[in-house]
Amino acid sequence: MSRTITVAVCAAWLCLGGAAIAHHSVGINFDNTKAFNLTGVLKEIDIRNPHSQITLTAQGADGVAKDWFIEWSDKNALIRRKVKYEQMKIGDTVTIRVSPSRRLENVGYFQSATLAGGVILRDCGAGALADAVEKGADLDCPQVAR
Amino acid sequence: MRTARSSGLIAVCTAAALLVVLPVPARAQAKRPELQGVWIVNGTRTDNLKLTPEGAAARARYDHLHDDPAMRCIPATFKRVMHTPSPPIEIKLHDDYAEINYEFMDVHRRVPIKAGLAAKDAPYTVPQFPHLGRSAGHWEGDTLVVESTDLKAGLLDSLGDPGLWQSDRMQTVERFVPNGNQMQVIVTMTDPVHFLEPVTTTFNYLKLPDGQLLTWDCVPEEAGYERFNENAPKQPLPQRNAQ
Repeated sequence: MSRTITVAVCAAWLCLGGAAIAHHSVGINFDNTKAFNLTGVLKEIDIRNPHSQITLTAQGADGVAKDWFIEWSDKNALIRRKVKYEQMKIGDTVTIRVSPSRRLENVGYFQSATLAGGVILRDCGAGALADAVEKGADLDCPQVAR
Repeated sequence: MRTARSSGLIAVCTAAALLVVLPVPARAQAKRPELQGVWIVNGTRTDNLKLTPEGAAARARYDHLHDDPAMRCIPATFKRVMHTPSPPIEIKLHDDYAEINYEFMDVHRRVPIKAGLAAKDAPYTVPQFPHLGRSAGHWEGDTLVVESTDLKAGLLDSLGDPGLWQSDRMQTVERFVPNGNQMQVIVTMTDPVHFLEPVTTTFNYLKLPDGQLLTWDCVPEEAGYERFNENAPKQPLPQRNAQ
């Protein structure tokens, strides 16, 4: 009897532990099934909470330059996940891959950035840190474009 | 084979002997210190979500760009706070109270632990944000149980279960269950205005080795999506006390 209870409790714990966070604000506000590259000049870089924001002046297909507002992870998460955001400098020409906002024009969510010299910058997210902690390992976030 | 069986028998007998020798309160409290530390969320699950017609109508009206008080740097509820995937929480236990600190929005909660103390008679646990209600804690074995009332009507959650609202009849029970380097926080929410039956959300946490909370320092003008759309309507928000 007690063994049955123990097994049931362990099974429930494992099931709950394996459940993923079903939704978060990125998925609500941005269409993660789509992504495209924007190449332009970094106008503003605000690494902050609750969301970082990058303003990129990029030329559209019509040849007109306009500002894109690119949302990114919160500052604390970027620090905790050791993302080297300080490598981006105002005035640099970069290519940022973004997912578009579902409702707002010229707004996207940061997926990765290709900096001068081909350096790739990205944040692997909360799940990657949790996986590393669970395994007792350091966070492994390959800096590749996605 | 015989050796293995003998070893097993010895282990069982030793455990049984410890159960006899140790006083019951000591056994019941052995895992409490495991709650202390800095924790990151690693999966959540909501069960028994059955909305009343009013709850369903409120959810249908939800606008994710405008309705979340976090867009003004205000934490809607502890459920909303814990559903934020990146910022961790910290627990420190004291003799007669628990500190539960949430990195998200710099929420510092101080829950009195006293058997028999009713939540309605307890203080606001986050004076800066009184809409988060009054809470009283007690121990059930190794589980810290926190009961809350006097919660203000408003948005309940924008993450995990986006678009849920609560009335001022909402009452919650949070159970902090230690398990080594893992912890569960099981939140039971009773609100007859929005829920047909009590709803339960379970948050699974992992202890962050050498973890420390950082300051959040949220600035309202930078938090909302109005920075992209200045004509967006603004919703009434819970009052935030001056610091």
